Amino acid sequence: MSELTAATSEPHPDPRPRSRRLPIGRIVAASIVGVVLVGLPLESPPFRNEQFVGWMAIAIAASGLNLLTGYNGQISVGHGALYGIGAYSVALLITDVGVPVWIAVALAGVICFVVGVAIGLPALRIKGLYLALVTLAVATLFPLLVEQFSSVTGGGSGLSITSPQETARGVVDRPIQLTSPFGALAPDQWKYYVFLALTVVVFVVTRNIVRSRTGRSLVAVRDNETAAEVSGIHVARVKILTFGVSAAMAGVGGAVFALNNVRVNPSSFTIAVSIYFLIAVVVGGAASVIGPAIGAVAYGVFVDVVSPELPERLQPATPVILGGLLIVLMLVAPGGIVGWWRMLVAKRAARRGAGAAADGAGPASVTRKPSSRSTDARSPEA
Amino acid sequence: MTDFLQVLFVGIGDGAIYAMLGLGLVVIYRSTGLLNFAQGEMAMFSTFVVWTVWDLGVPLPLAVLAGMAGGFAIGALVHQVAVAPVGDPHERPLAVVMVTIGLFVGLNGLAQLIWGTLDRELPPLFGTGQVTIAGVAIGWQKIGAVIVLAVLALGFWLLFQRTGLGLAMRAVASNSESASLVGVPVPRLLMLGWGLAAAVGTVAGVFTAPGRGLGSNLMQLTLIFGFAAITLGGFDSLLGAVIGGFVVGIASSVVPQYVPGFEKIPLAPAFILILAVLLFRPQGLFGRQQVRRV
Repeated sequence: MSELTAATSEPHPDPRPRSRRLPIGRIVAASIVGVVLVGLPLESPPFRNEQFVGWMAIAIAASGLNLLTGYNGQISVGHGALYGIGAYSVALLITDVGVPVWIAVALAGVICFVVGVAIGLPALRIKGLYLALVTLAVATLFPLLVEQFSSVTGGGSGLSITSPQETARGVVDRPIQLTSPFGALAPDQWKYYVFLALTVVVFVVTRNIVRSRTGRSLVAVRDNETAAEVSGIHVARVKILTFGVSAAMAGVGGAVFALNNVRVNPSSFTIAVSIYFLIAVVVGGAASVIGPAIGAVAYGVFVDVVSPELPERLQPATPVILGGLLIVLMLVAPGGIVGWWRMLVAKRAARRGAGAAADGAGPASVTRKPSSRSTDARSPEA
Repeated sequence: MTDFLQVLFVGIGDGAIYAMLGLGLVVIYRSTGLLNFAQGEMAMFSTFVVWTVWDLGVPLPLAVLAGMAGGFAIGALVHQVAVAPVGDPHERPLAVVMVTIGLFVGLNGLAQLIWGTLDRELPPLFGTGQVTIAGVAIGWQKIGAVIVLAVLALGFWLLFQRTGLGLAMRAVASNSESASLVGVPVPRLLMLGWGLAAAVGTVAGVFTAPGRGLGSNLMQLTLIFGFAAITLGGFDSLLGAVIGGFVVGIASSVVPQYVPGFEKIPLAPAFILILAVLLFRPQGLFGRQQVRRV
C-alpha cells in the first residue's frame, strides 16, 4: 500500500541530522515562502483573500485525508461529508446555541473526531476498495441527509451563520463578522491571517504526529498489518484513532470553510468535494506532510485563478483537466509534486557521486534536516 | 394494498435498472478485480451518445444500439488508456481508485463540455403507455426494463457459460497468469470485459434518463444503488446482481414511503445494506468467498 508514497528513499527518515552544514537553500526558500504568505493579503483584493482562505480550508481537510489515506493506507472517498459535518456543526453551534466562534471550531473538530471513530470501527473489517465504496456512499448520502433533516439544517436553501448583534434597531440576528481587534486590518485580511495561523498550527501538529512513534506505527500498519501487529502495534487502535484525527481535521477544514462563507449549503458538500480533497492529496504528494498544502494551492490556483480565464463555453473543461491530471499522475508520478521534487533532488545528489554521499549530502540526507521554520511550509519531508 | 403494490412495482422497475448497472460492475469485478467507480459516468456518457444519435432522427431502439456500441468503445478505450497501465487493483488499490475517480470527474466534465449543462429529454424506450394489473397501473417502461434486464442477464450467462470466449474470460478472472500461460490473450479479454460492461451500462442509463432528465449527474445515485445491488448479491455473481438489484430497488422504494424519517433518503437503505453486508457477509449472498494464501 505504499504505492503513493512520495518518498523516494525510506519512508521514515532518521531524525538525527547527518549534515552539520546550514541548509542555506532551504532557509532562503522558507523565507521567501514566508514573506509571500504574509505579504499576499496586503496586495490582493478582498475576493482573492477569501479564495485564499478557501484554499486553507481545503489544505487542512486534505492534510487530514492524507494522514488517513497517505500514511495509514485507509482510502476515504467520503471526507467531503466530514467536511460538511464540521461546517454544519460550526454553523449550528454559533447560530442556534450561541457558542463563541473559536470554541465552535474546536467543538466541530471534536464532533468530527467522534464521527470519525464511529466510521473507523467498521473500517477495521472493511478495507481497500471496499472501504472506498462505503465512504463513496457516505459522501453521496450526506447532502441528502441535510435535505432530510431540513428542520435543523435549513435543507436545500442552506443556513446563514448569524449571531445576535446590537444595531440601531435593537438586537438583531445578523451574519457574523470576523473583524480585527483594533480595526487595523480589513476583515478579509484579518480572516486570512487568523486562518493562516490555524492552518500552520494544523500542519505543525500533523508533522509532529507523523514524526513521532505514532506516525511510524501508522506507516507500519499501512505497509503490513500483520507485521505491525507482530511488532507490538495495536493495529485496531491505530486505525480507529487515525480515522478520528483525520476526521477531526476534515471537520476543522469544514469549519474554516463555513466561517469564510458565513453560510452553509448542502451543494457545497457533494461527492465532488471528497474527490477534490483526494486530488489535492495526490497532486501534492501523498504521505508527505506538506504535499496536501501544495496540492490545495495547485488546485486553488487552477480552479480560482486559471479556470475563470477560460471562455464560458470551456468552463466545464476544469474537471476534465483535473480528472485527466489525476490519471496521468497515477501513471507517471504517483508521488505527486513532492515525490517528483524528491526524485529530482535524489538524482542531482546521485550525480554528485559517492564522495558527496560520504560526507552526508546523499539523497537520504536531503529529507533529513529539520526545517528551521515551524510552518514546515517548505519542507518536502515526511 | 393498491398503494403498496404501486410502490412495489416502482421498486421493481428501478431495481431492474440497478441490476443492469450491477451486471456491468460484476463483469468488471470478475475480470479485473476492480470496483469501477466510473461505471455510472461511463453509462451517463454513452446515454448522451444515444441522445445525440436519436436527436439526429434515428429511431430510439437503433439509437440505443448505436449508444451501446459507443459505450463499448468508450469502455475498451478507458481500459486500455487508463486502467490497464496502473496495475493490479488488489496490489495498488489506492492508485486504481484514484484512476477510476479521475475518470468519474473527467467524464462528467467532458459530458458538460460536449452537451452543455442543461438537461436533455430522452423519451422512454417503451413509450408512456400503461397496463393495469390487479388494479394497479404499471408503465410499459417498467415492464420493458425487467424484460431487457432478463435478456441482458441471459445473454451474459450464455456468453460466460456456453461459449469458448466466455470460458476464456472466466479463466482470466480465475487466474490471469495461468490463463495467459495457456495462450489466452488476457489483455484483449480484459478490454472486452470493460467494453461489455460499458455497453450494458448504456442500457441502464437509457432507462434512468426519461424520468429525471439527461444531465451529467444522471447516474451518481444509480451508481450507489448498483453497488448496493452487487454488494448484496456478491461482487462476482451475475445472478446476485439481478436479485440484489431487485432487493435494493424495492427497499429504496418501500422504505422512504412507509418509514418516517427516510422520506428524502432512498439512498439510506442501500447504504445500510452495503455496510451490513460488508461487515457481516463480505461475499454477499451468491459471491464466492475470497481465500487468501499467506
